[in-house]
Amino acid sequence: MKPSASAEGEHTAVYFDTVTKRFDDVAALNAVTLGVGRSEFVTLLGPSGCGKTTLLKLAAGFLGPDGGSISIEGKRVNDIPTYRRGIGMMFQNYALFPHMSVADNVAYGLKTRRVPKADRDKRVADALALVKLKGMENRKPRQLSGGQQQRVALARALVINPTVLLLDEPFSALDKSLRTSMQVELREIQRRLGLTTIFVTHDQGEALSMSDRVAVMSEGRIRQLGSPVDVYRSPADPFVASFVGDNNRLRGQFVSMQAKQAIVALGDALVRVPGESLSGLEKSAAVDLFVRPEQFDVVAPEEPCTIKGSVVAQIYQGGHVDLQIECSGGAGERLLVRSPGEQAVLRWPMGAPVGVAIQADQCSAFPAA
Amino acid sequence: MNQQPFLRIFTAPATLCAVGFIAAMVAVLQYSLRAYVPGSLDPGGFTLANFADLLKPLYARVFLDTVVVCAMTAVVTLIVGYPLAYALVRVEQPILRSILLVIVVTPLFLGEVVRTYAWIIVLGNNGFINSLLLSLGLIGKPLQLMFTPFGVVVALVHVTLPVMVIMLAAGLSHIDRDYSRAAESLGAGPIRVFLTVTLPLSLPGVVAGTTTAFAWTFSAFATPQLIGGGRVNMISNLVYQLGFSSFNFPFAATLCVAGLALTALVLGLLQLASRPLRKIEVH
Amino acid sequence: MIPRSTYQKVLGWVGLLAVLVIVAFLVLPAAVVTIAAFNDKPILSFPPQTWSWRWFGRALAYEDFRQGFFNGLIVTAWSSTIALCVGGMFAFVIDRYKFPLKSAIEGILISPLVIPHFTVGLGFLILAAQVGLSRGFAVVVICHVILVLPFVLRSVYVSLRNLDQSYEHAAASLGAGPLRVLTTVTLPLLLPGLVSGWLFAAILSFNEFTASLFVTSQRTQTLPVAMYNYVREFADPSMAALSVMYIVGTAALIAFANAFLGLGKVLNIEQSH
Ligand SMILES: Nc1ncnc2c1ncn2[C@@H]1O[C@H](COP(=O)(O)OP(=O)(O)OP(=O)(O)O)[C@@H](O)[C@H]1O
Ligand SMILES: [Mg+2]
Repeated sequence: MKPSASAEGEHTAVYFDTVTKRFDDVAALNAVTLGVGRSEFVTLLGPSGCGKTTLLKLAAGFLGPDGGSISIEGKRVNDIPTYRRGIGMMFQNYALFPHMSVADNVAYGLKTRRVPKADRDKRVADALALVKLKGMENRKPRQLSGGQQQRVALARALVINPTVLLLDEPFSALDKSLRTSMQVELREIQRRLGLTTIFVTHDQGEALSMSDRVAVMSEGRIRQLGSPVDVYRSPADPFVASFVGDNNRLRGQFVSMQAKQAIVALGDALVRVPGESLSGLEKSAAVDLFVRPEQFDVVAPEEPCTIKGSVVAQIYQGGHVDLQIECSGGAGERLLVRSPGEQAVLRWPMGAPVGVAIQADQCSAFPAA
Repeated sequence: MNQQPFLRIFTAPATLCAVGFIAAMVAVLQYSLRAYVPGSLDPGGFTLANFADLLKPLYARVFLDTVVVCAMTAVVTLIVGYPLAYALVRVEQPILRSILLVIVVTPLFLGEVVRTYAWIIVLGNNGFINSLLLSLGLIGKPLQLMFTPFGVVVALVHVTLPVMVIMLAAGLSHIDRDYSRAAESLGAGPIRVFLTVTLPLSLPGVVAGTTTAFAWTFSAFATPQLIGGGRVNMISNLVYQLGFSSFNFPFAATLCVAGLALTALVLGLLQLASRPLRKIEVH
Repeated sequence: MIPRSTYQKVLGWVGLLAVLVIVAFLVLPAAVVTIAAFNDKPILSFPPQTWSWRWFGRALAYEDFRQGFFNGLIVTAWSSTIALCVGGMFAFVIDRYKFPLKSAIEGILISPLVIPHFTVGLGFLILAAQVGLSRGFAVVVICHVILVLPFVLRSVYVSLRNLDQSYEHAAASLGAGPLRVLTTVTLPLLLPGLVSGWLFAAILSFNEFTASLFVTSQRTQTLPVAMYNYVREFADPSMAALSVMYIVGTAALIAFANAFLGLGKVLNIEQSH
């Protein structure tokens, strides 16, 4: 079901083969290769300007690639214009036609396909029912709330049974609670219809919670392609480690390799970390450890620990507590540590000296740049 | 894939128009290099004599007068137009704003003839101003306002004022009011705010407005013709006379070419002079 | 020292006074013409001793004015419509595409803004003679198209700039080909810009005088040319009466345009807050 990134298989719905796109002197996309499986939900995640929208526009055909090829359902589409690609697209600002009613907006794609009126009316009604907008047929887009407009845009893209659904930051204009419910709803509909979907966002929470696979992009390249768990637990490089989720970066020194694990010295303490990315390093080469806030254990200062410090801030988050811990000695580095349960507030009061231990084999490590 | 649908169909008519217009300008240029054959509508052979004739005092004088009238009109229009543009942009009540806008814009679309005619009635010996001043006993005999450079400039200011106001207002409206609010909050009085913030930021609009006012005045025909009455002659009047009274189209064309060169020179100088200003353009 | 509030008040009054004086200067000719138009005597006098409507009747009945009016309508209808099509299409390609000679063609079509109308008029007069075109409506219309084209180009271009391309992309993604996108999405969304561009062009063309003086003949003369000839020959208030009708008509059109299209937006002078 999940094809590899580098080869096009029979389950591949959309395939970008070493696609390059330049704008004047800016390389917006640099030899990007990406396969999206049929019925798969793939998210493009990356900082602003990394080329997400550009990749989506290439798939849609609003732009043509400068190099490489793009296929949809095994057919090369480089030279096929947007309107013959059979895609469905949802835009950040919805792009609902302001001069048409809700029903006419949804019917637009069916009219271009010359669907007979009776059939068309039925499909429009079904699509509006699917997004829970019955009874709004005759309103104009400006008479709808943001969330309702969003649903019309979704219905309009779905009603034509697209081969691929492309979404460019569709939820970024919604408030948080509405966004969460739309995320759930979209994912449900996508699963039910088995729609191949490429979704663009720069919100990593959205990416991790919705996707089958996430492609993390930066500067026109895909840095890592993997399941949300892969991307979160085993980032492929320092960029992915610091971009996806909260992370603490700690500078250490390489000591030795033991089987698949590496030993890294952090001050006086030794830490065991996954070693694949460190193979071939010389002794005492600089190493960056990336440790997630929840991969620390906070302990009493006299217990065995990796780093000593004191609590400088407590941020109560409801289910858990975020502690900022200033390391003793050194340049006053601060660690973000996540401690489950509310007792932490009382147990580690402000100013209290604490020890911090890294959970065995949990963090990721890369040779320092 | 055809990424540029309609490119050819949509460019063709415009290209045709551009070619037609260029052809008309080339026709003028070509005529300016032809000899005048008295009594004939067709020009003679190629010659540079027309351009040499430009240096005759009679014609040099008209050029000078034209530039002086245009420059005076542009400056006066700027001074008179600025407060109005400022008011147009800053007035808050929608109704007042609309009224002001219609008052400013309507003359723009009235055409030169109607407006010039109105000024004849205002400035004439039996006209409004003289009648008013006479009945108030302020003057003994009518003032000579018609057929004077003063009258021509007043009427031309009226003709160019709307376009100046619109260009100034366009410049002023894009200045964020927060700049002046910020200056006010720093303790600057209204005059200081105006001189140190609003005025410098509106300079691009000032340059655009002055440029256009100059070009429009240069183009004016009916106003100098009817209000100048032959005593204030501008290039436009001379071109028409040469063409339709003596059928000397070659020399008329020469005057047009020289006029174009002069406009280009003045507009170029204005652009050059305003180059340092562009640094402070907003956004 | 004067307290600041008093000082600001005085400044406000001075500003208001200045604006009122300038507005008075702007409307003075129109007011004076209106008074003159109702003067019963054929000779100008202020204030008029006796009043009448008769000059309005004379103006409406005067054959040159009637003919000029209808000629003007013909020329305006053709030239503004042609300019709208030509300028609208070209604004579209300027906004969207890169192609050779783009800025050259654009520059040429914008240049009539700063080229004196008598030069343009003379150019088309000579050109018409050279290509053997008689001095009929065609020359006048072509000349007017060139003169109003810059305004149409600008008006449509501004609306195109403000048109979010995602509407067209959305339509294309729904299977609409370029022509369908153009007719069902782009044109309807552009309508206000097109209407204001057309209105602009029509008013300018109807009022164009200097170039028309060169390219019209006795048979094709437009209203401003007829008025000019009248002013040169006669001094009775018929022309004042016609001017009043003209001013009222134009002001009404402008007020209409302002109410329905928002002149501030068209002229790009909305205050940014
Ligand atoms: N039409 C264009 N002309 C020139 N450069 C462009 C154009 N479109 C995009 N770029 C450049 O290409 C790069 C990628 O842009 P893109 O819009 O794909 O970024 P993005 O990942 O979608 O960012 P965001 O999260 O801000 O939407 C950027 O550096 C951008 O400046
Ligand atoms: Mg984007």
